[in-house]
Amino acid sequence: MDCYTANWNPLGDSAFYRKYELYSMDWDLKDELRDCLVAAAPYGGPIALLRNPWRKEKAASMRPVLEIYSASGIPLASLLWKSGPVVSLGWSAEEELLCVQEDGAVLVYGLHGDFRRHFSMGNEVLQNRVLDAQIFHTEFGSGVAILTGAHRFTLSANVGDLKLRRMPEVPGLQSAPSCWTTLCHDRVTHILLAVGPELYLLDHATCSTVTPPGLAPGVSSFLQMAVSFTYRHLALFTDTGYIWMGPASLKEKLCEFNCNIRAPPKQMVWCSRPRSKERAVVVAWEKRLMVVGDAPESIQFVLDEDSYLVPELDGVRIFSRSTHEFLHEVPVASEEIFKIASMAPGALLLEAQKEYEKESQKADEYLREIQELGQLTQAVQQCIEAAGHEHRPDMQKSLLRAASFGKCFLDRFPPDSFVHMCQDLRVLNAVRDYHIGIPLTYSQYKQLTIQVLLDRLVLRRLYPLAIQICEYLRLPEVRGVSRILAHWACYKVQQKDVSDEDVARAINQKLGDTPGVSYSDIAARAYGCGRTELAIKLLEYEPRSGEQVPLLLKMKRSKLALSKAIESGDTDLVFTVLLHLKNELNRGDFFMTLRNQPMALSLYRQFCKHQELETLKDLYNQDDNHQELGSFHIRASYAAEERIEGRVAALQTAADAFYKAKNEFAAKATEDQMRLLRLQRRLEDELGGQFLDLSLHDTVTTLILGGHNKRAEQLARDFRIPDKRLWWLKLTSLANLEDWEELEKFSKSKKSPIGYLPFVEICVKQHNKYEAKKYTSRVAPEQKVKALLLVGDVAQAADVAIEHRNEAELSLVLSHCTGATDGATADKIQRARAQAQKK
Amino acid sequence: MAAHLSYGRVNLNVLREAVRRELREFLDKCAGSKAIVWDEYLTGPFGLIAQYSLLKEHEVEKMFTLKGSRLPAADVKNIIFFVRPRLELMDIIAENVLSEDRRGPARDFHILFVPRRSLLCEQRLKDLGVLGSFIHREEYSLDLIPFDGDLLSMESEGAFKECYLEGDQTSLYHAAKGLMTLQALYGTIPQIFGKGECARQVANMMIRMKREFTGSQNSIFPVFDNLLLLDRNVDLLTPLATQLTYEGLIDEIYGIQNSYVKLPPEKFAPKKQGDGGKDLPTEAKKLQLNSAEELYAEIRDRNFNAVGSVLSKKAKVISAAFEERHNAKTVGEIKQFVSQLPHMQAARGSLANHTSIAELIKDITVNNYIEDCIARKHPLIKVLRLVCLQSVCNSGLKQKVLDYYKREILQTYGYEHILTLNNLEKAGLLKPQTGGRNNYPTIRKTLRLWMDDVNEQNPTDISYVYSGYAPLSVRLAQLLSRPGWRSIEEVLRILPGPHFEERQPLPTGLQKKRQPGESRVTLIFFLGGVTFAEIAALRFLSQLEDGSTEYVIATTKLINGNSWMEALMETPF
Repeated sequence: MDCYTANWNPLGDSAFYRKYELYSMDWDLKDELRDCLVAAAPYGGPIALLRNPWRKEKAASMRPVLEIYSASGIPLASLLWKSGPVVSLGWSAEEELLCVQEDGAVLVYGLHGDFRRHFSMGNEVLQNRVLDAQIFHTEFGSGVAILTGAHRFTLSANVGDLKLRRMPEVPGLQSAPSCWTTLCHDRVTHILLAVGPELYLLDHATCSTVTPPGLAPGVSSFLQMAVSFTYRHLALFTDTGYIWMGPASLKEKLCEFNCNIRAPPKQMVWCSRPRSKERAVVVAWEKRLMVVGDAPESIQFVLDEDSYLVPELDGVRIFSRSTHEFLHEVPVASEEIFKIASMAPGALLLEAQKEYEKESQKADEYLREIQELGQLTQAVQQCIEAAGHEHRPDMQKSLLRAASFGKCFLDRFPPDSFVHMCQDLRVLNAVRDYHIGIPLTYSQYKQLTIQVLLDRLVLRRLYPLAIQICEYLRLPEVRGVSRILAHWACYKVQQKDVSDEDVARAINQKLGDTPGVSYSDIAARAYGCGRTELAIKLLEYEPRSGEQVPLLLKMKRSKLALSKAIESGDTDLVFTVLLHLKNELNRGDFFMTLRNQPMALSLYRQFCKHQELETLKDLYNQDDNHQELGSFHIRASYAAEERIEGRVAALQTAADAFYKAKNEFAAKATEDQMRLLRLQRRLEDELGGQFLDLSLHDTVTTLILGGHNKRAEQLARDFRIPDKRLWWLKLTSLANLEDWEELEKFSKSKKSPIGYLPFVEICVKQHNKYEAKKYTSRVAPEQKVKALLLVGDVAQAADVAIEHRNEAELSLVLSHCTGATDGATADKIQRARAQAQKK
Repeated sequence: MAAHLSYGRVNLNVLREAVRRELREFLDKCAGSKAIVWDEYLTGPFGLIAQYSLLKEHEVEKMFTLKGSRLPAADVKNIIFFVRPRLELMDIIAENVLSEDRRGPARDFHILFVPRRSLLCEQRLKDLGVLGSFIHREEYSLDLIPFDGDLLSMESEGAFKECYLEGDQTSLYHAAKGLMTLQALYGTIPQIFGKGECARQVANMMIRMKREFTGSQNSIFPVFDNLLLLDRNVDLLTPLATQLTYEGLIDEIYGIQNSYVKLPPEKFAPKKQGDGGKDLPTEAKKLQLNSAEELYAEIRDRNFNAVGSVLSKKAKVISAAFEERHNAKTVGEIKQFVSQLPHMQAARGSLANHTSIAELIKDITVNNYIEDCIARKHPLIKVLRLVCLQSVCNSGLKQKVLDYYKREILQTYGYEHILTLNNLEKAGLLKPQTGGRNNYPTIRKTLRLWMDDVNEQNPTDISYVYSGYAPLSVRLAQLLSRPGWRSIEEVLRILPGPHFEERQPLPTGLQKKRQPGESRVTLIFFLGGVTFAEIAALRFLSQLEDGSTEYVIATTKLINGNSWMEALMETPF
């Protein structure tokens, strides 16, 4: 452990930088890195290499190969480049490889070399060719900036939502800038370019000259510029071998350094940690690597091999033919613990724990020392934090062990930070593994989030590991395992060498009814790869018809869609399929399909009732549904026809249909209606007034009220109106007319089939007690009491009731006796009652 | 504000709050001032969910009724259409959007479909070229609307006709969706019972939908123990009879709409001496009827004959206790109600006396009675109710009688009613007797539908709600709870449609351990409508001291014989 700090290099008084190996690369590179276009994605992402045959003067004798490797050098893809010359490569935030061609076309490839799509950077770019290009990352996504042969810039801040922006011209610009970069702040992308001793800043509208404050004089050209990972800082390398460092706003100077090397560096990148005060840039030449910061001395490394720098959030990755290293500022916690002769609480705790393992009482001494200072909590926290920053599992373990040891002496130390660190490290160690090759640091991992990490594992088709991580972290299924399984299934359906049957079965076996898995998404993917049969099989597993049906329609399986829609009971879905079918099939086939689906048929009928009446008729015709056809024509007789002939004709059709339906009654009734209509028409012609559409009953009534008794009688006979009803009708009409004479005549015309109580009632209703009394004598005995009471003859009512010896009638009369006038009657009834009881 | 919803065993305010939240979220999506264009049918049900004040809080400044041509002028940023998913409404909306004045300030359009977004409608909007004009097109799943502490309704007018006449299951689908929403809020209902074809279908849809939702495990402790799904056509008789409970009668006479009743204004005229009937208020008096009103809660489910005594007792207590303190508005209304009584009595006399079916069925001269009603041209609905009643009670009418009635009706009321008669026959309300046995007496006896010794004042059996007739539907529910349907297998076979039982397994953690004496909660869903008398009968069962079950009632629509008949009637002009 004494040599633990051996790879620490101090920069100034306050910071150490260390470089350690992530992987030894065993990729079998055919070419030198310097001959290739290189792109390495941040956050430990993949590396793409394209041997650049276009740069050299000699014509390309053979097609170049595009190769993609994991950060540990495992080949992921290799493909022959068949398109045009490529100027620049870069990775998007979704780990898609963007290849910018000379003609301004950008080809997008997946991690596994699968072609995704392409887009163009516009006509201007196409005409003037691409001189240089940069892929950059903003909060919106990944952008592309292009320098054209006309020395103009075109950029798109988000390739996912392509909006091209042509930047303003730099006045008087004759030659290509010596170096340039994109700057993003406040959601706006700028371009900073250097031409000779001048620096220009381009935004969407303007071009302005900027001068870095405090820049040493004598600069005639800028050779390199570098923006930090977060776009906060800028470094400039001049032809005088001088490095200027400051904020990207160029408002002040942070520091400067003169390295006295005038050769243009190959690469210059920032190397800083979030929340650290230290600022440093790493500059690489062919054989030399230099870390430069706010210190008089720099740290120098010798490069044995051709190397490439990848800026990261908290450091720089450096890979070459044989190794892949990480260079970063030593984090505070690690520094405190491991700095030689450190007395920081974490350092003491680590020491204590080691002594404890050796069973030495020194453990107690150290521990007491920390406790006396009241720093045990801090010590534990320090150890936990430092563990996070260690790359080697053995170091992580010893620090965590120390933390755990310290925790034993604390009363209420919240366990979360310890537990989470253990979990996070386990995940990190798993993905850092050589076979996986994602060398994330703790800070990067926290910035990236577990969700994105899982996405990236899925992207690398590392489904089992992703699922293990989900299970280990106990992520909710919908966000975790299900999502990954769904991705797996989407990948699975693309395996064309496996039969539909097997794929479907394999997917269902794995996925089962896992909540949150959308079989329709997977099916859509299968359909997208042209495997319709597989898609249908997969859709069988989809429980949500709302998802199932539209896809089936898209795949032109309308009939299957129809039965699925019907199964769901969702009528809207059924309608949707029906209208689809209607357009797809000819009428005959469509009707046949409906015939086999009663529910769909009745829904379609509903639709037709409101939207297409003619089709409704055809449907009934097809089904020989004469009853409904009859009703249909009845409706039509009212709706469509104004003229009486038309109406009668429609009714005739209705009657015919009713006959066919063996609905004799309806047919006869309809014929009666036709007869009545014609008759009413005649009545209107002959008598004037309104008759049409009156009911038969009302027609007769109208006739009586109009004094046409003969015609009324005739009509009643013709339509066989029952006697009783006719009597009621006449009675009501005559009473309404108050034609008491006629009423009396009528009452005597023959014996009333409805009795005479109604006569009494109706007269009373018309407030004519005098007339009413005429009929009381003829009322049947059992209703007589009621009739007498109606006309107000209480005394006689009492007599009749007594005569009838009917208890109910007696009480009824009694209830009508009002105190003053009917006292005698009441007594009489009481006496009769008493007598009745005696007997 | 909606405290009456939380009085019951199941707090239906939870549902109301959930739908209110959904509404607020939607309104907030459309930032800025808004005008709502209403499908008029929705305003009633919405009134039970959100008053204007809620809408106003969310910047709703104007409200219009949906109609053709151009929208009225309104200086708002958003125009939101609240509509049912119907094609004819889409046409109107399209007309509105297309005639929008392009020179005026640009306004954002949105559609809120109630209760469900429809592909069909969106396709129509697309065909009309306006689909792109809408920024938000969303659905508001207002299926079951809480009416009272134990009552939910979908207020879907056409449900019965669509399901039983036209084979259109849309409302059943919505019912199933509504039940899923309820389960999401109140936990999975472990047992589902059902009787009838539609009940079967709803249960099937629910089981299917549950499969669709497997992703979100419901971890709410179940509030309902059972669900009973009942087809209205299992019991066609009950709604035909005249309801004799207080609330039922109000509904029969005046009609209750979305828990509001409109009463004729002259009954509320201030009676002053020497005031010769001048200045009568002309606008109908609108009253809300629900259990928020303590007194109303007490009398609503009583037999009408028992209401008078309760009221007079109450009136004294109330005026003594409340009047001096603050002359609460409610007290005034109660008094008005009390003053209503004589009128109600009279109305009941004319309407209920005759149609009280107890009398009717026992009356041998029922044929003559109906005949007389037709001859005297009593309201057609009444006649139809009577004829259907006779048909249902006798498992059909003799062909001769049936034809005679039909002929009489057509001649008296007009031939156009042949369509209505066809509908009634299709619904099974009218039918000729077929050779088979008349099953009705068996059903009546087994289920004890006729109770001779009914006590209207202090009822002991549900039959009090019809003064002697126990509604079949409620009897089925009662027998399910105790002793179980196994005891009436025979009758169940006679009644139309299958009867069934389904279990929805619960995770062990959610299974209920019943305390001794703790009653079950049954959600009973009437597919095709329920009457206030049936509700009263179920409330009576809930309140029985030895009752083992409390009921929460849900339905597609609150109906009475008249509104039900009206929905089945068809006039072609």
